[in-house]
Amino acid sequence: VLPERRRSTQAQRVVNVVLATVVSAVLLIVLGAGYRTLPALGPALDPGRGAWTSASGGTLPRSQTLRLAGLARPARVSFTSQGIASISAASDSDAYLALGYVQARFRLGQMDLERRLGEGRLAQLAGPDAVASDEFELRLGLLRTARQEWADTPRSSPAGQALIAYARGVNDYLATERASRQWPALFSLPGVYPANWTPVDSLVIQGVLTQELDFTTTPLDYALLERSLGARTTMAWFPLRAPGPQSPYDPGPYRNLGIAPIVTTGAMTTATTAARTTATTTTAPRTTAPRTTAPRTTASTTTATRTTATVTQGRVAGRAAVTPGQLVSENGGLPRAAAAILAQVSALPAGQVHEYPDSNAWAANGPAVAGGGALLAGDPHLPQTLPSIWFQVALSAPGLAVSGVSTPGLPGILIGHNSAIAWSLTDTQNQSTMFYDEKTSNARPGGYFWRGQWRRMRRVRYTIDVRGEAARQLTVDLTVHGPVMTTAGQTVSVDWMGAVPSPDLAVLLRINTASDFAQFSTALASWRAPTENFVYADRRGNIAAVSAGYFPLVRHGDPWLPMPGTGADDVAGVIPYAAVPHVYDPRDHVLATANQRPVADSYPYYIGTSANDFDPGYRAATEYAYLRRHTSMTAPAFAALQASVSDDLARQIVPRLLTALRGARLTPVQQQAVTVLRGWNYSMEPQSAGASIWSTFWSDYVSAVFQPWWAARRVPVRRDRDGLAVGTGQYSLDEVLAAWTRDDQGNPAFSPPGGARRDAAVVMRAAFGTAISRLRSKPGGAPASWSWGKLHSRRFQSLTGAAALEYGPYPSGGDAWTVDAAYGGAVSGAGPSWRMIVGWTGSGRAAGEAIYPGGQSENPASPWYANLFGDWRSGRYLPMPVAGRVAGGGAGSVAGGGGGAGGAGAVVGAVAGGGSGGGGADVSWELRP
Amino acid sequence: VTDVKRLGKRGSYRLGRLRAQGIADLAPPSPYRPSFVRPQHRGPASGWLLAAACGAAVMAGGAVIGWWFVPFGVGVLAGVANWVGGWRARVMVTALTFMAIIGWGVPLWWPAWHGEPAGATARVIAALLGLPAYAFVTFALTLLIAIAQALVGLWLGRALTPRPRRG
Repeated sequence: VLPERRRSTQAQRVVNVVLATVVSAVLLIVLGAGYRTLPALGPALDPGRGAWTSASGGTLPRSQTLRLAGLARPARVSFTSQGIASISAASDSDAYLALGYVQARFRLGQMDLERRLGEGRLAQLAGPDAVASDEFELRLGLLRTARQEWADTPRSSPAGQALIAYARGVNDYLATERASRQWPALFSLPGVYPANWTPVDSLVIQGVLTQELDFTTTPLDYALLERSLGARTTMAWFPLRAPGPQSPYDPGPYRNLGIAPIVTTGAMTTATTAARTTATTTTAPRTTAPRTTAPRTTASTTTATRTTATVTQGRVAGRAAVTPGQLVSENGGLPRAAAAILAQVSALPAGQVHEYPDSNAWAANGPAVAGGGALLAGDPHLPQTLPSIWFQVALSAPGLAVSGVSTPGLPGILIGHNSAIAWSLTDTQNQSTMFYDEKTSNARPGGYFWRGQWRRMRRVRYTIDVRGEAARQLTVDLTVHGPVMTTAGQTVSVDWMGAVPSPDLAVLLRINTASDFAQFSTALASWRAPTENFVYADRRGNIAAVSAGYFPLVRHGDPWLPMPGTGADDVAGVIPYAAVPHVYDPRDHVLATANQRPVADSYPYYIGTSANDFDPGYRAATEYAYLRRHTSMTAPAFAALQASVSDDLARQIVPRLLTALRGARLTPVQQQAVTVLRGWNYSMEPQSAGASIWSTFWSDYVSAVFQPWWAARRVPVRRDRDGLAVGTGQYSLDEVLAAWTRDDQGNPAFSPPGGARRDAAVVMRAAFGTAISRLRSKPGGAPASWSWGKLHSRRFQSLTGAAALEYGPYPSGGDAWTVDAAYGGAVSGAGPSWRMIVGWTGSGRAAGEAIYPGGQSENPASPWYANLFGDWRSGRYLPMPVAGRVAGGGAGSVAGGGGGAGGAGAVVGAVAGGGSGGGGADVSWELRP
Repeated sequence: VTDVKRLGKRGSYRLGRLRAQGIADLAPPSPYRPSFVRPQHRGPASGWLLAAACGAAVMAGGAVIGWWFVPFGVGVLAGVANWVGGWRARVMVTALTFMAIIGWGVPLWWPAWHGEPAGATARVIAALLGLPAYAFVTFALTLLIAIAQALVGLWLGRALTPRPRRG
C-alpha cells in the first residue's frame, strides 16, 4: 500500500509542478506580451515605468532651462496661466524648432495619431479595427503625395528650413521622453512608441487636413441617386445651382480666362505665374506625373477655351432626354463599385472626409468699423474634439511676429494675425474629387485603356502592421487619373486635387510674414488644396477675400458623376488664379464667407453642385444682414454675431407654416404650439421652445415630402447614410424644399408617387401634426416647456475614442443654419473650433482676441485639458499673445455687445480689455543650445 | 448507559452525568481559533518579517527600473525559501499579498505624493483600457497584477521544492 501512496503523492507533485509552470508561463506571457489586442499589462501598468508615468505630463510646466540639440541661439517660451504659448527666438528656424518641441510636449499623442492615420499605420497602434482606415489612406495616397512634396521642397527654402527645424524640435522632445520613459498613456499602454519625426510626417498631416476639408464621395452618391431616382429628378432635387439667394461674397463681374494647367510639383509657383493679373493659360504640361506612368499633359490649354461651365450646361440640357436607368445600362457595375468605395469611407474615423460646411469669416472696414480701420472675425467649424485640432501660439523672431492657431504637426500659423495683416479661412466647398470608370479587360490584367492605347497601371505594394495580428499586404494600382479605389463591379479610380502636391506650408509661411494684400495674394497663387476662402484685413483698413486653390475643370462629361476614364473626360486643368472668386474692399465695406457658393450664377466656371456641401446661404444671409445693418462696429459687435443662433431658414418658413395652419383644425396642444411659434424670434436658444417645434417640424416636413419618393424608388440609403438618407445634412433637399415652399407650393414633388395630390400647405399641416406628436412623447409636457436644450446637445469626442475622456454632452443652442453652428443632429459633434477677432486702431496696431473649446494639453489629467471650455461656452475671449510681448489680462467678455458708436479706442479697449483671472506670463522656459 | 431509554427525552441533557463511574471528565470543547503561526517554523519571526520587507522593497525597486516581473520572482523565491521556513500556505499567501501591495503601492503613491495627478491618470488609463473610468479600477488592476504574479510565483516555488521540513 505504501509504495502506491508514494506513487500517488509523487504523481500529484508532478501534476502540481506542471500546472504551476504552465500557469506561470501563461501569466507571464500574457502580462509581458499581451494577447491579440489586449495590451501587455505587465509593463503597461508597471508603476515606475508604465502608463502611470504619464501623470508627469499632467502637471503644469514650471519655469526651467532646457537644452535642445539643434538650437542655434537661446530662445524663450512663455505660457499664460491658460496655457497659451509665446515663443521668442533669434531666427525663424529656432522659432520652429521650439514650436516643434512645445507642440510635442503638449500634443504628442495627437500628432502621432494624425500621422499614423495619414500614413496608413494606425493599425500598428489601434489593432485590426483600423486596418480598413489604413487601406483607404494608402490607396488614396497621402503618404505618396507628402513624399513628392518633400522631394519638391528645396532644403534651403523657408519651408524646407521650417520643416527640418520643426522635426528637430519634435525629436528633441522625443529624446527626452525616451530618456525619462514618461510617455503618454496612449503609447505606454499598447507599448507602441512614436518614431522620430520627419518633414514628411508634417506634410502627411497637411494631407490629412486637406482630406478632411476637400475629399468627398458626392459623385458616387449622384450615381446611386440617378440609378434610383432617375437623372431628371436627381438633377432637379440636387441641382447644379440651388434655388434661392446664396449671398455670394464675390457678386461679379467675372472674367473667363480659360483653363490653367495643373502644376504637379510641390514647389511654389513662380512670381510670374502667381500674379493675379496673369492669365495662366500656357502650354505648360503637367511637369511630373507621380500618380501615373502615362504622360498627362494639358497641351490644349493654349488659349481661353470654352469653359466647363458652358459644357456642363449643355450636358444638363441634354440629360433631360436621358431615361432613368440609362446609367445602369452604361455602367452596370457602378453601384457595386460605388458601394465598395463608400464602405471604405465609412470605415474611417469620424470626420476624415468632408461632410459639413465649415466656418465663418467676415471682415468690415471704413464706416462699418469704429475708427475707420478694419476688423476681421473668423471661426472655423470643424469636428469638435479633445484635444482640439488647434494649438494656440505666438511666434517671434527677426522678421516674424505672428499670433494665432497652429496645427499640431505643422510649423507656422494657419489662422491669425501679424502686425500688419490678419486672416482666417473658410472652406470653399467646390468639387475637388472626380471618380473615373477605368476601361479594363480580362485579357489585359493590370492594364487600362486611355487615350486610344492600353497602358499598364503602376503598382505599389504596402505592408500594414497590425497590433496583435499578422501584417497585411496591400497592392495599390495607379492609373493616369489616380489610385484605383475598387475593382468591385468596376475599376474605379479617383482624381482628387488633394493628391496634387501643394506647397501649402510655403504659402503659409509667406502669409505669416506678409505685410500687405499684394504679398498675401501673391503667396496664395501657389495654394492648391484644399480650396479655401482666405479672408483678409490689414492695418491700412483694407479687407479682401480670395478663394485660393484648385478648381478642377473638365472639357467633357458630367463631373458630378463618375466619368469614363478613357481620356475625353479627364480633368483638363483648373480655373486660373486670376479668375477664382475674390473681392477686395467691397463697396458696402463688409464681406462674409460662410461656405456659401462664393459666386453668382453668371460665374463662367463649374465649381460644384448644390450637393457639394455649399452652405445654403442661410448663415451668410444672417451675417450680411447684420453687418450691413450696423456701422462703427467694434469687437463686441463681431463677437455678438459669432454667438448668433438666429436661424434664417426658420425666418423664411415659419410664417408660411403659420399661414398653412390658419383655419386648420388643431388640437389644444397644437394650438399652444402655434402660439409658441407666433411669439418665437427664430433664435435657436437652448431654452427656446419655438426652436424645438421648428426643428422637429422641418425634419418631419423634409421627410414627409421626400421619404415617399425614396421608398418608392428604393434609394440605397444603407450604402451611404450621410450622403443618401433623407434628413439633416442633405442641404440640397433643404434648399429645394425651401424654394418650393416660398415660390412653388404646387410642385408635383409634394404628391407622393402613386398617392393623392398634395400641395405644400397640406404636407406642412401633416408634418406639423407629426412633429407635435413626437414632441409630446419627447420631451413631453406642455409646448412651452419644449426647450431646445432638451432635444439638442453638443459633445466633444476624445481623439482616443474613449467615451470617458469626452466633454459633454450638454444642452446647447444653434443648428446647422446658425452662425454659431452645430452640426450632426441631436448630439452635435462639429461647430466653431476657434473664434478670433482682430482689429486695427488708428495707430495701426493689431489687437486680437480669441478662444477655442478645449485646452492646450492633450493629457486629460492636465489642468489645461479642458480649461478653455468655460470661456468658450460663455462667449468670452482671451487676448491673443502678441509675438515678442506677452498679453496681459484674462478672459474678457465681449459677447452681447452691439454695434454702437465708438472710436478707435473702443476697438482697442474691446479686444485688449482684461477680465479676471490674469493671463500674464506665469511660466517660461529658457531654451539653450 | 443504564438509562438509555431516556435519550432524546425531556431532561436527557443530564444523561452525561449518568455516565459510568470511573470515567474521567472530558475537557470542554474550545472555540476554533485559526493560527497563522506554524509552531514548527524555523528561525525567528522577526527575521522572516525583515525578509518580507526586503521582498517588498525589491518589488518596488523592480517597478522603478521597469522590471515588472519582479513580484513573480519574489514569489518563487518565497516559495523556495518556505522549504526552510516551513510556514503554512495561508501565511505565505497573506504575506506575499501584502508584499505585492506594498511593493507596487509605494511607487504608485510616490508621484501623487510629489503632486502629480495620479488619480486623474488612473481614470485616463481605465478609460483607454475600456474599463469603467474610475481611479480605483486602475489602482486595483495594477495591484492585482503584482499580487497575481507573486502568488503564482509562490505556487511555482512551493511546487518545485519538497514539502517543508518540520521541527
